[in-house]
Amino acid sequence: MEKQQFDFIGKSFDIKNIGKATGKEIYTCDVNIPGQLYAVVLRSPFPHAEIKKIDYSQAEKMGAICISGDDVPDILYNERIVSIPEKTYRDRTVLPKDKVRHVGEAVAACAAETEEEAFMALKKIKVEWGKKWRPLINLDKAMDPDALQIYDHVYLGEERVDINNNIACERNVDVGDIEEGFKEADEIVERTFSTQRVYHMQMETKSAVCVPEADGGITVWTTSQGIHNVRILLGNIFNIPLSKVNVKRTTLGGSFGSSIQMNSITPICVALALKAKRSVKLVTTREEDIYDHSKYPLKTILKIGAKKDGTLTAAHCRVWVEIGGHNIQAYPYLGCVAGWFASLYKWKNLKYEGTAVYTNKVPSCAMQGYGNPQINFAVESLIDILAEKLDMDPIEIRLKNYVGKGDEFWGQGPTVRSIIRSCGVEEMLIEGSKLAGWDKRTLPSKKKGDIRRGIGVARGFHTSGTGGPNPGEVIDYSGATIKINEDGSVDVLTALMDHGGGTWDAGAKVVAEVLKVPYSKVSIYSGVDTRTTVFDVNTHATRGVYCGCGAIKYVAEKVKEILLNYAATLFKDLPENLELTCNEELGQAVICPRGIPQNYMTLGEIAEHAHITSWGTIAHTATLRQKNCPPCFITHFVEVEVNTKTGEIKVPRAVIMGDSGTIINPDLWEGQIIGAFSRGLGFSLLEETKYDLNNGKLECNGMITDYKIPTTIDMPKVGSITVRSAHTYEPTGPFGAKGMGEAALSSVGSAVAIAIYNAIGIRFYELPITPEKVLKALKEKEGR
Amino acid sequence: MKKIEIEFTINGKKRRLSVKPNDLLINIIRNDLFLTGSKYGCGIGECGACTVLLNGEPVLSCLTLAATVDGKEITTIEGLAIGDELHPMQKAFLKNGAVQCGFCTPGMILTATALLKENPNSTEDEIRDYMRGNLCRCTGYIQIVKAIKSCENNLETS
Repeated sequence: MEKQQFDFIGKSFDIKNIGKATGKEIYTCDVNIPGQLYAVVLRSPFPHAEIKKIDYSQAEKMGAICISGDDVPDILYNERIVSIPEKTYRDRTVLPKDKVRHVGEAVAACAAETEEEAFMALKKIKVEWGKKWRPLINLDKAMDPDALQIYDHVYLGEERVDINNNIACERNVDVGDIEEGFKEADEIVERTFSTQRVYHMQMETKSAVCVPEADGGITVWTTSQGIHNVRILLGNIFNIPLSKVNVKRTTLGGSFGSSIQMNSITPICVALALKAKRSVKLVTTREEDIYDHSKYPLKTILKIGAKKDGTLTAAHCRVWVEIGGHNIQAYPYLGCVAGWFASLYKWKNLKYEGTAVYTNKVPSCAMQGYGNPQINFAVESLIDILAEKLDMDPIEIRLKNYVGKGDEFWGQGPTVRSIIRSCGVEEMLIEGSKLAGWDKRTLPSKKKGDIRRGIGVARGFHTSGTGGPNPGEVIDYSGATIKINEDGSVDVLTALMDHGGGTWDAGAKVVAEVLKVPYSKVSIYSGVDTRTTVFDVNTHATRGVYCGCGAIKYVAEKVKEILLNYAATLFKDLPENLELTCNEELGQAVICPRGIPQNYMTLGEIAEHAHITSWGTIAHTATLRQKNCPPCFITHFVEVEVNTKTGEIKVPRAVIMGDSGTIINPDLWEGQIIGAFSRGLGFSLLEETKYDLNNGKLECNGMITDYKIPTTIDMPKVGSITVRSAHTYEPTGPFGAKGMGEAALSSVGSAVAIAIYNAIGIRFYELPITPEKVLKALKEKEGR
Repeated sequence: MKKIEIEFTINGKKRRLSVKPNDLLINIIRNDLFLTGSKYGCGIGECGACTVLLNGEPVLSCLTLAATVDGKEITTIEGLAIGDELHPMQKAFLKNGAVQCGFCTPGMILTATALLKENPNSTEDEIRDYMRGNLCRCTGYIQIVKAIKSCENNLETS
């Protein structure tokens, strides 16, 4: 590890979230335009039905502006354009033209002077429904050759693809020869696992505001993880030059992947504004939001083989994912699941087969981990089973087989790979086991009483971004404009989004560190849009710090170069003889000839000089593509208490070890890990969006009182979660940093399930592990 | 619909408004008074993001009819700081990393101030129980509970 002294990196500044603590932060739903109309959306009550005709004349008589499928462009698009066009499936229009494919799908919308008037008008829209079909809810039913086809055909890039057996797409990967691999094995284990649909439950529901401009352009505010992709999509759909589509960057009220794609309501809001020739605001309800997006569920049949000494020899992984009524990103998803699977352990020989299937459910989309928590549950559970069969310690078998430094990591499926250059896995397993008291762990057979305690370990990771030495199927670059103001303060203009995890805070610190400007004098938090920034693909794939701030650092270094060159003319010296430091007393960056600190000039003086002599602005703009995708690692040691009378599971304690290389925002880093742990507990123990098999509606009816997420009382107490960082340095990252966000969730479910096994001796292969399932399993075990 | 004249104090200022009998307090606060710090998270009392203080008590503004606040005193997140001096609870949230996306934060902070006013020496269990109606999806709550605990005995002097 390289030792570096930092002025700003690794420190926490309370000021960063001041807007959020004072109510001044502006989210999309807080944007108001004088004279705006309010929009509401009519949604399908049916899971699969033909739309014959939509008559909104009565609503328009009330003064509302209305749209249906007939009013929107005939452009078939995919709302997520992170993948390259030829790997992007297209199956939707702004509003459906002929049929709906899930309950809650938008069919029409209207805008009026007040929200109340809009709702009154919405009631007057008449939909004449044609054929109505029973929903295809379950994977197996949807794939049945006799099942009704949800789509006849879709497009992959420009190529027409016929859909058979509702299979949206498939993806297979082979490495080595698994038959040979399994022949070498002394022990082979195989199990089937399944994970459920989970709702993102980001606190801010999806919103959009659109202003039609006089020149035919539009200005749009919308909940989004990537404003430039929204710009490109809106321009393409509505045939507006991209220079006239301006998408504003606003703060996100959480996202967890739910806004990687352009949200379904964004183009609806735009279509209404263009028709009305008025500004339109659309804020969705919580019920609408639950019917808009979901985590991808996964069914996995996994078979692995190992020698007596624990060395793995082969793995065969067969997965199915049901994706709901639209294909947002099933193809890259299947690729990523293959990559997470391939990068957890050195299988030597592997076979992966993935299938994505349409159903009449809410469209699935990315949610923290993008398949990683799902496949991790299968792999880590099965590794635990294998260790038991081989009579090996679960930590030992992991240490023997993990993919680490010098090995290849698949950061975004088979086409985006890079060599691992920093890895804290060993340190995390060994130090974590000490902190967790692993050696005091007893076998399930030794536990007594109604309340049984167990401890489990699982490890995971996520990529940091989607860059590789060669560009793969995913677009990945970021950029910034950085300028030094006339008083020595600094503006950072970037489209990089922050979900709340501190990406902007990290960006400000990186700039402060390079230019030695006090953190409080770097502005990154507000005031940008697509017109004032260069492209940034999206804050997804845990790329914010590694890729986004990597690009910001690159630009800041260029600015530093320009600054030193200019300063050299003032000092009548060479730039390489000058030194840039932060003078805390002055609260300024200062430049002096190296070793002669008394001859300093402040950055403010230099910038002012450049200004009054009309030299110009010390500034630079550039984009940068990271050429690696280093994994950030995580290890969870989780303790559970299972009440054998009620089936309830409590989590009193956890030790979580993280490897992000250099940590830029320590308080938010820990906060991300603990936050992900709570979402992981929801995923493991509580949450599932269940469907009524007959009418295709959600059993929770869109209510969060009936879709439970963890609250304050479900979490361990203060001090009961120990979070520690590995001592690593990522040589390709900004100041040695990698990501953390999604990694933090990847092994929670696995560790919880393994801990439950350690407590009661029962393996669970299906999440969530609810009290009902625990009681049922206990009864079966006892032969009751 | 016949409008009703109401007069109330919000963040220390007297306001007089005409509201419809079915107007919700959250809409009056956000759309008429442009105090957008109070957030709409569910509209039906499930999440706590719209919490404001009504005569010092936390209420869900999405379930409160505007007409019922006549003669009462409302505090929203915008009214908690005194001038440039943040309220100790705001400082504690910032200091303890209890803020991520920030959407639940106004409701969390207001509910927490009410808790410590009711019971300045709340135990951790009491804090967890009192705050259970305020949902947060980002933080996992621990830093929030820690922030509130750090404010104990601190609020009385504020």
